[in-house]
Amino acid sequence: MSTVMKTTRDVKGIGLSIPRPDGPEKVTGQVQYVADLSPRGLLHAKLLRSPHAHARILRIDVSRARALPGVRAVLTAADIPELKRKAPTRAHAVLAIDRVVFAGQPVAAVAADEPAIAEEALDLIDVQYEVLPVSADPLEAMKPGAPPVADAGTEADTSEAQAHGSVAGVTTEAKPAKAVNISQQARIQRGDVAKGFAESDVVIEKTYRVPMVHQGYLEPHAVLAQWDTTGFLTLWSSTQGSFNTRSEVADVLELSENRIKVIPMECGGGFGGKIRALCEPITAILARATGRPVRYVMTRREELEAGMPAPQVIIRLKTGVKRDGTLMAIEGEAVLESGAFSGAVLAVSGVFLASLYLWPSFDVKGFEVLTHKPSIAAYRAPVAPQTIFAIDSQMEQLAKAIGVDPVEFRLRHLQREGDKMANGQPWLSNGGAEVLTRLAEHPLWKKRAEWKASSPKGRLRGTGLSLGGWLGGLQPTGATVRLNPDGSVQVLTGQVDIAGTNIALAQIAATAYGIDVDKVRITTGDTDVAPMTGLSAGSKTIYTVGVAVMEAAKDARNQTLEIAAKELEASVHDLEIDNEKVVVRGVPDKGITLAQIGKKGNLYMSKVQPVLGVSHPAFSQQAPAFCAQLAKIEIDPETGEVTLHDFVVVQDVGKAINPLAIEGQMQGGAVQSLGMALTEALVYDDKARLTNPSLLDYRKLTSADLPNIETIIVEKPSPHGPFGARGVGEPPIVPAPAAIANAIEDATGVRLTELPLTSERIALAIASAT
Amino acid sequence: MAKLVLNCTVNGEPAEVLVQPWDTLLDALRERMGLTGPKEGCGTGDCGACTVHLDGKPIASCLLLAMQARGHVVLTIEGLGRPGALHPLQDAFVRHGVPQCGFCIPGVLMAAAALLTENPHPTEEEIRYGIAGSLCRCTGYTKMLAAITETAGAAAGRRS
Ligand code: FES
Ligand code: FES
Repeated sequence: MSTVMKTTRDVKGIGLSIPRPDGPEKVTGQVQYVADLSPRGLLHAKLLRSPHAHARILRIDVSRARALPGVRAVLTAADIPELKRKAPTRAHAVLAIDRVVFAGQPVAAVAADEPAIAEEALDLIDVQYEVLPVSADPLEAMKPGAPPVADAGTEADTSEAQAHGSVAGVTTEAKPAKAVNISQQARIQRGDVAKGFAESDVVIEKTYRVPMVHQGYLEPHAVLAQWDTTGFLTLWSSTQGSFNTRSEVADVLELSENRIKVIPMECGGGFGGKIRALCEPITAILARATGRPVRYVMTRREELEAGMPAPQVIIRLKTGVKRDGTLMAIEGEAVLESGAFSGAVLAVSGVFLASLYLWPSFDVKGFEVLTHKPSIAAYRAPVAPQTIFAIDSQMEQLAKAIGVDPVEFRLRHLQREGDKMANGQPWLSNGGAEVLTRLAEHPLWKKRAEWKASSPKGRLRGTGLSLGGWLGGLQPTGATVRLNPDGSVQVLTGQVDIAGTNIALAQIAATAYGIDVDKVRITTGDTDVAPMTGLSAGSKTIYTVGVAVMEAAKDARNQTLEIAAKELEASVHDLEIDNEKVVVRGVPDKGITLAQIGKKGNLYMSKVQPVLGVSHPAFSQQAPAFCAQLAKIEIDPETGEVTLHDFVVVQDVGKAINPLAIEGQMQGGAVQSLGMALTEALVYDDKARLTNPSLLDYRKLTSADLPNIETIIVEKPSPHGPFGARGVGEPPIVPAPAAIANAIEDATGVRLTELPLTSERIALAIASAT
Repeated sequence: MAKLVLNCTVNGEPAEVLVQPWDTLLDALRERMGLTGPKEGCGTGDCGACTVHLDGKPIASCLLLAMQARGHVVLTIEGLGRPGALHPLQDAFVRHGVPQCGFCIPGVLMAAAALLTENPHPTEEEIRYGIAGSLCRCTGYTKMLAAITETAGAAAGRRS
């Protein structure tokens, strides 16, 4: 995993802004997503979903639905022998058995010749419910006596936390006796916070709230399932990780994993919401029941009502500081609302709250609470934007209260490499200080006083910034690199390419092997052919799969040179690859082309082995990656309307393998962050039913809401990433909520603590402050 | 219910297909004609992924009944350009590295193409509003703006 590669000459490889090679197919509508597949005999699936958030199912009558012409199967839980009364995960809760625990939970499934027939069949299914009391609010749900969500308490599901490579070492506490809906809790503690507050000159205590939000991928969940006559299942899936999908489906269906093939189709966005299996099991079961291929595509309404959104996060923080700027103590708790099944990443929140900045004493508790809402999943840097919103808002207010420069204040206390995190582990090399320093040099920050002073009559102008990051995910993974008989190079992984990571992996292979990237082809294989590959999640594709590709390419290069050495009767050490030819250094005429070597590996009766580079590493060292963002805004204090004039993203990427693709990640992440800051919320009524299940009412930002997003890439090499690269995907979604809240305070003097920062909230806050 | 015959022009060719009375134009294109370029992101007119041109104007094909297109001229992303013969907007989208997941791209391109036909020299503001009916969750729109602006500029350059 060395970061310094010896290439014999500069090839077209890493560091270049190369557009993805599948671009022409993407812009012409030729790439295929699951919903674009229509095999012969295709049936369409629809699910009947519970209108109640909590109810007992008394009776289901499907006889009229089964009798409808064109209907091929109508299933309830009673028809599926594999279903367990106590579903350990959301994927196992294929159809509700006798109780529904969130509105939108599937209770029956139909497969029919046409989608319209399947829908008509749903109307003919008669379900009698006994409606039960709900836990709709996490703070209420935590209390003893609240309506229980899980059947007999619940088990923590921390697999998400592991996939995202978060933080070990946070102690888990036993839960108090009667709080049935608390599924995980943890506490991190150091020093004496009471003493710290007693010695503080300024103590600020605030509670921050971030509602459930949806990942918002534009392509709804979709899957196509087909069985062959031997009982072998093929799934075409919109997934962030085909191997994970295969494992989950195998577990639910009690099938051997080698009886399932998952073909990852083009994925129309996931952002964490397409990691865990959701509708794969029921689609497979319908295909088994009918003996036909079955396609299931969720509607947008189903996505919003019954997808796997991000948790609601409520964080109370109390912080103390001395007049001279010395941090003294932090105390508080984070409540993560996970909906009906456990799965929140509790530890990330604790580590950022207690140890992004150096607190001599801290005491932070974390609770995961279940409610009668759809269970949550990861959303790009799970829980980091919510946590940074709280801690960064708090830092800004402390700096203001004692009258020091907010950037210097953050930089003074920011933990550096080697400092101990709250869990006792040291912070690893990162560019947190560098990105913040770089942003503070930006003219928009330097001229913030002028901007504020330039406010026209009836308008208020302000500037805010924030610093946030992500610790970086890890997962074992594999790759192979082959030399073809024509001298071209072929890379194979199982990596689902959503954002354009394959071109960056090809660039890594090119540089590591010593050939131009146009001679490298990279393929994403299905679970039958590809080496085991991790998820497209956790900002770890380049950081981990990139290492596998780099090592496999080096392996292929070494094999190539060894074959050449024999052929040329030269020492391997005297050879180099130049212009698709292995040559002896200093003897330009003596050489053999890559095509000649490739051919020897594929000739009848040849004694030369084919070149096959293989790497399948596991990892232990994360690479934290930081991002700082600045917002320059103008507010109409009457209406509370915010106009974003400029937005700047500065991010440490370690080494920019493909700057074009990285800019796209930074811009897209920033806009998701701004959406969380300004407009997005899943809004539930007191019966835990979603009140805004459409994209009209679940407001995402459009091109008309935004300025251009300026990107500044900082490169502080990571010790273990390929060529020094760090993860890129997640950091840019983290800082905007705090940056916007800080900008609003700069403009108006009002501090807002509840997202989204809608016009209404801003106007009300301004009105009540004056 | 009996299927109906839909006659219209699709991507420059006359088309005749059987559709259900309740089929939307998007259903007819995707499920009955195999033109899966237009995408369904919502089915309720809120995301723009299904945008096609009807007689040169951008419409949400998920909101139009298929039979309402009878006798009209429909253009989908498949008719805008193809690999090897890209429309200038498509070419600019590729070079600027716009597509990430790609799901919004057919709709955005159809909206942008209609905008440039209507208004060959749009301001940045006009482009922002021109494609505001199309949601993109991946790109943050910045590179789209650059690609559309460049195409409009280049077209202006060719004309003068
Ligand atoms: S699918 Fe037509 S607007 Fe969303
Ligand atoms: S590229 Fe994914 S939604 Fe636009």
